[in-house]
Amino acid sequence: MTAQPAIAPLAAADDATVSLWRDAWTRLSRNKLAVASLAVIAILALVAIFGPWLTPYDFLSQDLEARNLSPNWAHPFGTDELGRDVFSRVIYGTRTAFVVAIVVTGIAATLGVVLGAVAGYFGGLIDRFVMWCTDTTMSVPQLLLVVVINASLKPPLVNFMEAQYELTRNPFFRNSIIVDFVLVFGSMALILWPPYARLIRAQVLSIRNRPYVTAARALGLSTPIIISRYVIPNSIGPLIVAISAGLGNAMVLESAFSFLGVGVNPPIPSWGNMISDGLQVWRNHAHLLAAPAIVLGLATVAFSFLGDGLNDALNPKGSK
Amino acid sequence: MLLFVLKRLGIWIPTVIVVILGVYALAFYGAGDPIKLIFMRAPGDVAYDPVRIEAIREQAGLNQPFIQQFGNYLWNALHGNFGNSLVNGRSVWSMIAAAAPVSFQLGLLAIVLTAVVAIPLGMVAGMKQNSKTDYVILGTALLVWAIPAYVAGPLLMVLLITILPGSAVPYGWGGIFDAKIILPLLVLSFQPIALIVRQTRAAVIEVLSEDFVRTARSKGLPETVVALRHILRPVLTPIVTQLGLIMISIINGAIFVELVFGLPGLGRLTVGALTSSDYPIVLAITVIGSFLVMASNLLVDVLYPILDPRAADAMRSR
Amino acid sequence: MSERLLEVKDLSIEIATRRGPATIVDGIDLHVDKGETLGIVGESGCGKSLTMLSLVRLLPNKIRVSNGTAAFAGRDLLQLSSRELREVRGGKIGFVFQDPMTSLNPVMKIGEQLIEPLLYHREMSKAEARKRAGELLRLVGIPGAEQRLDSYPHELSGGMRQRVMIAIGLACEPELLIADEPTTALDVTIQAQIVDLVKDLRKRLGMSVVWITHDLALIAGLADRICVLYAGTVVEDAPVEQLFAEPAHPYTRGLLASIPRMDGEDAERLNSIGGTPPEPGRRPAGCPFAPRCPMAQEICRTTVPELQPLRGETTPHRVACHVANRVLEAA
Repeated sequence: MTAQPAIAPLAAADDATVSLWRDAWTRLSRNKLAVASLAVIAILALVAIFGPWLTPYDFLSQDLEARNLSPNWAHPFGTDELGRDVFSRVIYGTRTAFVVAIVVTGIAATLGVVLGAVAGYFGGLIDRFVMWCTDTTMSVPQLLLVVVINASLKPPLVNFMEAQYELTRNPFFRNSIIVDFVLVFGSMALILWPPYARLIRAQVLSIRNRPYVTAARALGLSTPIIISRYVIPNSIGPLIVAISAGLGNAMVLESAFSFLGVGVNPPIPSWGNMISDGLQVWRNHAHLLAAPAIVLGLATVAFSFLGDGLNDALNPKGSK
Repeated sequence: MLLFVLKRLGIWIPTVIVVILGVYALAFYGAGDPIKLIFMRAPGDVAYDPVRIEAIREQAGLNQPFIQQFGNYLWNALHGNFGNSLVNGRSVWSMIAAAAPVSFQLGLLAIVLTAVVAIPLGMVAGMKQNSKTDYVILGTALLVWAIPAYVAGPLLMVLLITILPGSAVPYGWGGIFDAKIILPLLVLSFQPIALIVRQTRAAVIEVLSEDFVRTARSKGLPETVVALRHILRPVLTPIVTQLGLIMISIINGAIFVELVFGLPGLGRLTVGALTSSDYPIVLAITVIGSFLVMASNLLVDVLYPILDPRAADAMRSR
Repeated sequence: MSERLLEVKDLSIEIATRRGPATIVDGIDLHVDKGETLGIVGESGCGKSLTMLSLVRLLPNKIRVSNGTAAFAGRDLLQLSSRELREVRGGKIGFVFQDPMTSLNPVMKIGEQLIEPLLYHREMSKAEARKRAGELLRLVGIPGAEQRLDSYPHELSGGMRQRVMIAIGLACEPELLIADEPTTALDVTIQAQIVDLVKDLRKRLGMSVVWITHDLALIAGLADRICVLYAGTVVEDAPVEQLFAEPAHPYTRGLLASIPRMDGEDAERLNSIGGTPPEPGRRPAGCPFAPRCPMAQEICRTTVPELQPLRGETTPHRVACHVANRVLEAA
């Protein structure tokens, strides 16, 4: 009899959580635009995963007999000025885009969640310092900051890799792709974490002072339990929305940097450097610009609409 | 009020210095020895004459400790001296001064266009929530939001030339009264407009559910008066706080737009400097860009209490 | 009988839900005479505010009038064009809302908000309107009235803000003032002041008042007549003395029994009505109160009772109850 009431409310809370997610899913599946976006993203993700088995040609193989071909049956998106199959390159570009978007968003979100939770939980000087960092990071124009980071850190990193290679003769250190990815991941994560930190901090602050958390504390529940039972479940909704928008954002940034030549460098195909190349010749060979531009546009629009749909589904109050 | 502005400045100035310090440190430690960078470009074997390099280093004060060099840089920057280009030896300031008017005029026009287009559209969408008008405005905003400037720019150029055969490609700069500015201005304003349309709409929907809107209607005011007097003002307050975000979005966009449309502004200067590793220019533009964003944030902080009397009260009691 | 100012007939209001429209207000009949004060009493959610808001089309989204007429000074309010409606709003019918904190625009000075109805209905100049606004603030008992015009709402206390709301409602000397729970958000001592203020103003300006509340005790000294609403229907309508002397509906009796009394024999015990009102869309087939009614009969569960004069007499005391006579005998 005494144990009964203690268990019942918790079980009820879990039920409520389940039905909350089911409700959100129902609301999302009723939003046609969001479902279509989800489908587009799923297809692109499958393309990214199974790319090597899907591409009819190697993305590097050049066929000088078939240069600058318009789209045709053999080459659905045509070929570029070196006779490389654009379709295969777009597929590999999708891989690059997804890898960068997922890794960067992962790092940025983790960093942001940890810093935001710490700031919100401990408050005081720590909070003020973390918030000052977010404000400061957010007041530097992102592109310029990444350009500076890339331009300044690339030479020392390349030097370091070469020195390591001289020392160990490990072929790993000869791989210039690694330098590119480390720089892109690092610099992008560095500018993308503040929104996550702000979000989580605001959640922690608002939840920390809710009556039911005060009640839980009065019952003697420990801090980790309060955080895992109340703070995290309540923050997941907004976090999912932020991550969905963040993935699209990271894809755009990645291609923007490749476009400027500070991101993933050739020969690795990236939508951004394909667009940049296509821009030189679009008057004669529009398909070289159109193919990567349309796929990039499609991906970012899909993430944007999905984020909006998720927002409506997870925060029904705001969508009234 | 004055005290409040001074307090804000007290936090703001150190922040600006720290940001410049961070960017400077990156360039200082990352880019390598500036003297070597200069000499590597010079003809002949000067780059390998250690004695001469040391002499020049001493003369330029480059053997001083980092903090002292940073102090010098800051002091000189305050006086408009950002050093010289590594490529052509011209003063960075003069190059920026030549390019800045193009970017500033374009950016200011984009901000004006954003305010004039986005706020009314967002108001209409919000007031007619869930109507066809709303869906069209919101859908277009989401679509435009998702398309990067360097994709929209070329695609619009292609469209323009296919739709209007014989029309000139809008390439280059002819001042703000030249028709060539229309396309770059549009592309540059796309993202800020999309941002502000969405925020205005969300704010209107929130304000519409407020009791005081019902009070305004119960007084028998025409709907336009309700919208302009009672809804617009509380909506504008949060919108104004987005000024910093708009600045960032315009600075980001300008880099691409200037590149795509061949405008001789700061954006193209940045990209050019980047490809030739001309660090003093990249550094100077980053410093100026961050300064602009932080200045607009400061402006918002100072303006906010004027827009919202409740904030002014809270400020006074603090 | 005195002259009718407002006559609402068979008014129904429904809300759009996922499962289709659900009725919230179900065929309400009520009327207000010139110079009369009508109290509308009921639990929260019974549709009392929506009924009055629907008259001037201030219903929230997704809620709409599905049936009925509302004759005001001879014209059906529900058929007015939006231009005619604007003349009625604030001009002929003034409103005072529940929470003066949220009902006043926080970023506009009180004076600006107060002169708006004068500018649009009376076509006064700004200077005239401002002068009149100062008089209005003095009328509602705000000390230092003229200086207060330049205050923002957050600079006033709750009671002062509600006085400003009343001044706005009265600005154009409306024929009808609708006060929607104007004291609910206020301290008890302030509540009494506001009630006295409205009582006094009603006498001086000769207007009709509809006062919506869930507090029978509060309105006893103010209203001439009381309409008791339950689940979107009028269950009893009587002059205030008769209602208190012989409440004929079991729900009214329940409401009266839940008022604390210091003089009665069971001063120490408060009665409450068991159960909750039906949700919209799940209304019972018969009398909506039947599931909670201690005296319900078989007929109550199957047939909806009509609002009829008590005991078949031609009294102004009307009640919608199959067992009203038995209720009176039991008392």
